[in-house]
Amino acid sequence: MSERDITQPRDKGRNIPPVAISETSTLVNPTGSWKYIMPRYEDRVAPCNAGCPVGIDIEGYMYLIGQGRLEEAADLLVRENPMPAVTGRVCHHPCEHSCNRASLDEPVAIHSVERRLGDMILAAPPPPAPERTRTETVAVIGSGPAGLSCAYFLARLGFCVTVFEAASEAGGMLRLGIPEYRLPRAILDRQIERIAGTGIEIRTSVRIGTDVPWTDLDEFDAVFAAPGAHTGKDSTIEGAEGVSAIRPGLEFLKEVNAGARPDLGDRVIVVGGGNTAMDCARSALRLGADVTVLYRRTPREMPAIPLEVREAKDEGVGFEFLAAPTAVELEDGEFRGITCQRMELGPPDDSGRRRPVPIEGDVFSMTADTVLTAIGEDCDLSFLPDDVRTNWGLIEVDTLGESTSTPVFAGGDAVDMPRSVADALGAGKRAAIGIDHFLREKAGEDVGEVPLGALRFGEGNVSALRYAEDEDPIPREAPVNETVTWDQMNPHHFRTAPRHEDHFHNAIDLRSAFGETNFGLNEREAIEEAERCLNCGVCNRCELCLIFCPDMAISRRDDGGFEIDMRYCKGCGLCAAECPRGAVTMTREGI
Amino acid sequence: MKKVMIGNHAVSWGALRSRVEVISAYPITPQTQIVEALSDMVADGSLPAQYIKVESEHSAMAACIGGSIAGTRTFTATSAQGLALMHEMLHWAAGGRLPVVMANVNRAMAPGWTIWTDQNDSLSQRDTGWIQLYCETNQEVFDTTIQSFKLAETVNLPVMLVLDAFYLSHTSEPVDVTEQEDVDRFLPKREAAFKMDTSDPRAFGALVRPDAYTEMRWQQQEAMLEARDVFRRVEDDWEAITGRRYGAVETYRTEDADLLLVTSGTITSTARHVVDERRAAGEKVGLIKVKMFRPFPTDELRELLGGVDRVAVLDRNISPGHGGIFAEEIRAALYDVPPEDRPNLFGYILGLGGRDVTPAVIDDIIDNTRSTARPEREDLWVGVEL
Repeated sequence: MSERDITQPRDKGRNIPPVAISETSTLVNPTGSWKYIMPRYEDRVAPCNAGCPVGIDIEGYMYLIGQGRLEEAADLLVRENPMPAVTGRVCHHPCEHSCNRASLDEPVAIHSVERRLGDMILAAPPPPAPERTRTETVAVIGSGPAGLSCAYFLARLGFCVTVFEAASEAGGMLRLGIPEYRLPRAILDRQIERIAGTGIEIRTSVRIGTDVPWTDLDEFDAVFAAPGAHTGKDSTIEGAEGVSAIRPGLEFLKEVNAGARPDLGDRVIVVGGGNTAMDCARSALRLGADVTVLYRRTPREMPAIPLEVREAKDEGVGFEFLAAPTAVELEDGEFRGITCQRMELGPPDDSGRRRPVPIEGDVFSMTADTVLTAIGEDCDLSFLPDDVRTNWGLIEVDTLGESTSTPVFAGGDAVDMPRSVADALGAGKRAAIGIDHFLREKAGEDVGEVPLGALRFGEGNVSALRYAEDEDPIPREAPVNETVTWDQMNPHHFRTAPRHEDHFHNAIDLRSAFGETNFGLNEREAIEEAERCLNCGVCNRCELCLIFCPDMAISRRDDGGFEIDMRYCKGCGLCAAECPRGAVTMTREGI
Repeated sequence: MKKVMIGNHAVSWGALRSRVEVISAYPITPQTQIVEALSDMVADGSLPAQYIKVESEHSAMAACIGGSIAGTRTFTATSAQGLALMHEMLHWAAGGRLPVVMANVNRAMAPGWTIWTDQNDSLSQRDTGWIQLYCETNQEVFDTTIQSFKLAETVNLPVMLVLDAFYLSHTSEPVDVTEQEDVDRFLPKREAAFKMDTSDPRAFGALVRPDAYTEMRWQQQEAMLEARDVFRRVEDDWEAITGRRYGAVETYRTEDADLLLVTSGTITSTARHVVDERRAAGEKVGLIKVKMFRPFPTDELRELLGGVDRVAVLDRNISPGHGGIFAEEIRAALYDVPPEDRPNLFGYILGLGGRDVTPAVIDDIIDNTRSTARPEREDLWVGVEL
């Protein structure tokens, strides 16, 4: 039998630790060898950027505002958009319709932030004009958004640009078509002044083909034609010919926007459901008339910006839906009103909207002193030489705006349907890139193809900053031209926050004035609104990947981004799953 | 500073005064106002701590384990099924020698579903390696919360402080909230004996071979046994500052007693009242309150109960198939008492699922204990009506 008491511990100097801690560093175990899939930081395209016809890096400037870098945000904005103070007011903001935040609570009020930044830019002293680095000259026909955009980007690319404008003042449809209560002339003037300040010569009251023959443009190395669409479509109202009470709405708008205050009588009918119709209705209202909009479909099919429709209603414009004017009604030879046909919605047409179909025998009369027709505009392209091919009244161009006749490029309302300020600005930018590329090639440079894929946010736009290969204030990680969808994001890290709505005038005070109705947001609200941006698809350094990595394989780089130590990353995918914005991709490549 | 507060908030205040650095909790039922108040304190900045909201109690304890390995003072609270869900992680915290402190609101286990008190939830965790301290009043709850950190961090073991559901958790009493500077003197910032170091990463909870596992458990047991002495010193320090102490075991009017009641939790307060009445009537009845259940105060109980004629243990719990858990443990402790000194021990089961234990019930127990020669069974159920 043992002498020793087996129940007493013996000290053998084993140094047993109190807890189970490995004796060696875990760094000796390269757990990264286990992975069959690995994470990669890949910035995607935010849907707002993809949805912007202008090609503005919206997500980018929102990020900069969120970082308190307001001036850089403003700079990034004007790198892509020549007139943010204008678009912040009148753009139909498709960016907001594609904003992923709508799936969380409400879309970011992008237009309000843009407007605030735009006004901030106008209030600051103008930057120095870009240097003239190119010897070639370019003529731009039309000083609407398309023409000014093309001129602006060409000037930034170093060209000498001359803009020809048929009207006495620059601005195109912004000045002629959009009423002052939506776009104050002081804002428009300053914005155009800014653009002209980049070294562009704007020659007003010069109509190409009338005041100056087309052949005079031969002295330029390229031409960009953006004549717009200024002819109101004829109405199909029977007996309207020669009746002065029935007139194109656009003509009326041009008069009012030029400062005239025509007498329309007490009762005005506006025919149409687009933005021109809303502008006519609200302008007529401000001249003291009782206004009814006649539209042959329902509110759902109206092409006008919903906010414009709402404002029109708030101000007191009446609406008669599912009705179309058919004939003039006279009383003792005098215009008395119009006969209207009641419609119903039939099957969808090519535009996807349900086609209005007359209801047999259902007609009614509406009395009016004036009928303004706003059923669309046509282009006057008679000044163009024959080899510039047109199709259904629109100029045919390729992706970068080149027409069938070298070196003529074109864009804006004379090219694109549907027509919008944003589409016109985007077309001008694309054409500027097309012209630059064309002239470089002509000068003997080996330019290859324009790398459109690399220049785009999404599909329908281009980035001037990327084309000019200027430094992006926000370094993007391995950007992929793929729009991030809500289901690729992780909503659990976001908090809801109400959208800041623009401040409006009280509608009751409106009828006497053409003053601006929408005051936008103040600076604090605009910054808060920018902070609502989720930075979809783009790493904004939130650090959640670093926090969640169970292997501590993620660390910060000196430049603020992150790196993954692949020796230890097991490929678990937590970083990709937790990334709120879908900026981490799991891939099999490189294993 | 005296404040009127419910027992749950006494825990929150204790944690606040202890300057906890990490709190992790699962915020829905059976959670209590303990972490609700703490989350407010964290949100308004009065408690600079990391509050980690998780998706289950299992994760809550896992997060506490992480926080504690990182060297922080870590706290959580739970109750009943929540505690049961933590079970695996309770072993982890104790085996990892992590001084996590947890408040458990004693609530009966479901089914049948209940929100009222008994001790089966915490006593089911008897062998996980946690120190267990049962409280009687809201003041004791506040004091014990703070003491728990000191005890846990001294012996590197987790501490579960326990308070009765409703009778303490949701009932208000005045609590003397010790000033922060006094608590700071008592409880300095935690200095971890070992912790995770990202510059020298080590695996925690790694494989231990049979040739070392026993030694680790031996060390854990030594720490548990040491906790009896450490708790005494912790109470000395606390008493020096606040004048309050409770004892692992408290005696109440036990002098010359021929019958002793043994209680824990809030039944103790009712029993004090009955003992006072019986003493006033000239009966030699006394009371022993057991605060510390793990480590078990074997020596004190042997000392106090040995030689007493009759002992009635009041168990608000049941180990099905055996008996009341305190009674079992005390019987085992008394085995080494010389046979002639072993008391006649009556183990009563009562108050389950929150049933009220009134003075009349305790009177009946005293009378029954006196009038019965020997208990007929190990488990004597009180008040069962079928």
